[in-house]
Amino acid sequence: MTQPDVAAVPGPPPAAPGASPTDVIHNIGYREYEGPRLGRAYARKSLFSQSLRGAYGLGRSAKSKVLPMILLGAMCAPALIMVAVTVFTHMTHLPVAYTRYAVILQAVITLFVASQAPQSVSRDLRFKTTPLYFSRPIERIDYVAAKFAALATALFLLTALPLLILYVGALLAKLDFGDQTAGFAKGLVSVVLLSLLFAGIGLVIAAVTPRRGFGVAAIIAVFVISYGAVSSVQGVAASQENYDVIGWLGLFSPITLIDGFQTWFLGAQSAFPEASGPPNAGAGLVYLLILLGVVAACFGLLMRRYRKVGLS
Amino acid sequence: MTVIATESLSKRYPRVTALDRLTVDVTPGVTGLVGANGAGKSTLIKILLGLSPATEGRARVLGLDVATDGAEIRGLVGYMPEHDCLPPDVSATEFVVHMARMSGLPPTAARERTADTLRHVGLYEERYRPMGGYSTGMKQRVKLAQALVHDPKLVLLDEPTNGLDPAGRDEMLGLIRRVHTDFGISVLVTSHLLGELERTSDHIVVIDGGKLLRASSTSEFTQATASLAVEVTDREHDLLAMLDAAGLTVQASGHLLLVDIADDGTYDLVRDAVAQLGVGLARMEQRRHRIAELFTDETDETDETDAGDGAGTTPAAAGTAQEGDGRDAA
Amino acid sequence: MSTTAAGPAGVHTPNPPALAPVQAGIYHATVGRLTYRALLGRRRALLLLALPLLLLVIVSAVRALAGQDDTTTANLLQGFALSAMVPLIGVIAGTGAIGPEIDDGSIVYLLAKPIKRATIISTKLLVAMAVSIAFCAIPTLLAGFVLNGNGQRLAVAFAVAAAVASVAYSAIFLMLGVITRHAVVVGLVYALVWEGVIGNVVPGARTLSVQQWSLAVAQHLSAGSAVTSDVSLTTGVVLLVLVTAAATWFAVRKLATLKLAGEE
Repeated sequence: MTQPDVAAVPGPPPAAPGASPTDVIHNIGYREYEGPRLGRAYARKSLFSQSLRGAYGLGRSAKSKVLPMILLGAMCAPALIMVAVTVFTHMTHLPVAYTRYAVILQAVITLFVASQAPQSVSRDLRFKTTPLYFSRPIERIDYVAAKFAALATALFLLTALPLLILYVGALLAKLDFGDQTAGFAKGLVSVVLLSLLFAGIGLVIAAVTPRRGFGVAAIIAVFVISYGAVSSVQGVAASQENYDVIGWLGLFSPITLIDGFQTWFLGAQSAFPEASGPPNAGAGLVYLLILLGVVAACFGLLMRRYRKVGLS
Repeated sequence: MTVIATESLSKRYPRVTALDRLTVDVTPGVTGLVGANGAGKSTLIKILLGLSPATEGRARVLGLDVATDGAEIRGLVGYMPEHDCLPPDVSATEFVVHMARMSGLPPTAARERTADTLRHVGLYEERYRPMGGYSTGMKQRVKLAQALVHDPKLVLLDEPTNGLDPAGRDEMLGLIRRVHTDFGISVLVTSHLLGELERTSDHIVVIDGGKLLRASSTSEFTQATASLAVEVTDREHDLLAMLDAAGLTVQASGHLLLVDIADDGTYDLVRDAVAQLGVGLARMEQRRHRIAELFTDETDETDETDAGDGAGTTPAAAGTAQEGDGRDAA
Repeated sequence: MSTTAAGPAGVHTPNPPALAPVQAGIYHATVGRLTYRALLGRRRALLLLALPLLLLVIVSAVRALAGQDDTTTANLLQGFALSAMVPLIGVIAGTGAIGPEIDDGSIVYLLAKPIKRATIISTKLLVAMAVSIAFCAIPTLLAGFVLNGNGQRLAVAFAVAAAVASVAYSAIFLMLGVITRHAVVVGLVYALVWEGVIGNVVPGARTLSVQQWSLAVAQHLSAGSAVTSDVSLTTGVVLLVLVTAAATWFAVRKLATLKLAGEE
């Protein structure tokens, strides 16, 4: 390592005796910064774009690109296959409804959240980088909002891209334009809410622990177990022909919450046993409220979490 | 012009009082903030950055109120934390660029300033490697760089020499000194190593238990005393007797003899006495005060004053601990 | 503690200090106490409690919906308790007994003491087993009673099966905790994917699943025909014992050559 003393002396730079000519080039001295200082919104945007790119491994090592890209591929491949089938067998409708696609591929979405939510927040906690963020002219809400928005956007890309493929394919197969556009729009609405919900839950769990592996495991466990529990009890209820209960049980797991919401509000066909979605308007409203409530609660929990961690 | 001004600043937690009516003015330059662990240094920094509200009192940084203009203050101030805070899989350049952008610098400016700042702190080729492989010295430099990259007017450095070997400490202290002299940025350095602060700072603020112990310029602290330390290779008692007989006030302190300097002739007297005895003179130096003396018992100081018998040691009235007393270190 | 002895010409030569005896045995009280505290610390204890609670909530809901039914009971106890809860608790207890210590490096203090590695492993294993049996068998028993009041002796049968399975899982996951720093993720994938999905679906894989071995035990203990297993009792028990022993032995060997990892 060269001597710092030689490098930064300001003023007319006759090279010190014996110094090579390249040393002269370095003697520029300290320059003040007179340029613009963009405010909080710019900082938020920078953090947002850095986190979004990090969710797909862009700007990081090659190893961290592998899993997100594989998952993205796994998410889109079925859509491509479906499009091919539709086009080449001249089907009159897509094999799968736009709103059903995410429900079918929930495992892929869960894996994506499980691996990328910790990637986003656990690292800052583990390496204690958060004080450096908060010693800058941003507030806590900027950090939380940027991270939340970034992961939600990443999930949106993951879930909306296949829908886009289906849409384009449907148009190529000359299916009815109005139908397909309506279906596509409904799918997008559903997927926006899904992204917000999954991102919120994933981030809250990941922000609890600085250890990444733990966060990954906990997220997988929460999503899988909640879905498993809900669907088995729904199965039991179905065998008892207790359809109302099936509808209400869907509130207790993230993917079924989305499913119930879209059944009631977007006219989608329910993925619950016996296709029994929310039994009445009241239940439908509850689905909406719980959905929005969980997203808001996750945001609030994240804000609380970062209040404690601000400056160590 | 003061860089930091606090007025009766207090921060109380349920069980502990971190800061207790702290009133201090910090002027431009390098200021050392001294205090034992838990004395309130980190709390003070948090309040100055506008991240933690004070329970009582006010504080202004660069003329801005910490209670209302926190974000603006953070835009003009750089902070270097004490603990490890660097992710190991990112390179220094990438990290500092990101931090620069978080401070509001546009992308191109961020990259240019990063390159400049990393060069100024002394990181060259290694800046492109992931930070996991850096030595402690390099990591401290990166931390300093991210505090400087947005051209702040003031930087707060929390224990910057933590974990560095002696050579590294010297380099870091030199760097800190240059931040003020060459870059024109005021510096507030916290430490509990008094010796290095004596060397680097223009002013010193001493906190103990949340209260201000003393605040003045370094030169005032380390004033020369009117006493001479003499160390000889043998026969100290004989020398003591001789000097006593010659009319000097002498006191033994360990193997040193402390001679009160009556006038310029004292030096000659001592030299002659030593030569007469035929012993070797290992040291004859004018004693300077150390900041550490502030933390010794008050009784020790009064003992010295008594022994000195009026031949003034410290400007004693100013030297002893006074609570809540803010001295303008001009 | 050195004593001096007067040698020739009055020179004092200290005796060589007595070597502290290497502590062996199956269970070391201090190590055990520390492991208990680590496993039952607040956060982990909450996790360990959450799963049994969830099981009880589910079975209560089902009982309220469907009344008593032996087939449903067997299905639920196998599907939830044995398939999901037991492996997960095994992961939490098994990796938690040693994983955090290795991760933050404090395992060196333990390794530097004069305690045999085998003793360390066996102590931690016993603690993990005790914790997982407690958190698996008891809730399973309760769940069985809630579901059908021990009809066909299902409650007891599955409780024993849960206990037996958690013994094996503790050994396997303790070993994983020593081998890899990603034990929790690996364990989770194993628990949910292998045991939960493949072990139930793919015929050939079923003979290699701890779940099936413990189901053999349950089948033997239950009174009716509600429980089926692909594996005979003998095979099941033998494989359980073998796997537990092998995992323990491997864990001891790995601990002996443990390299402390730096940052990832």
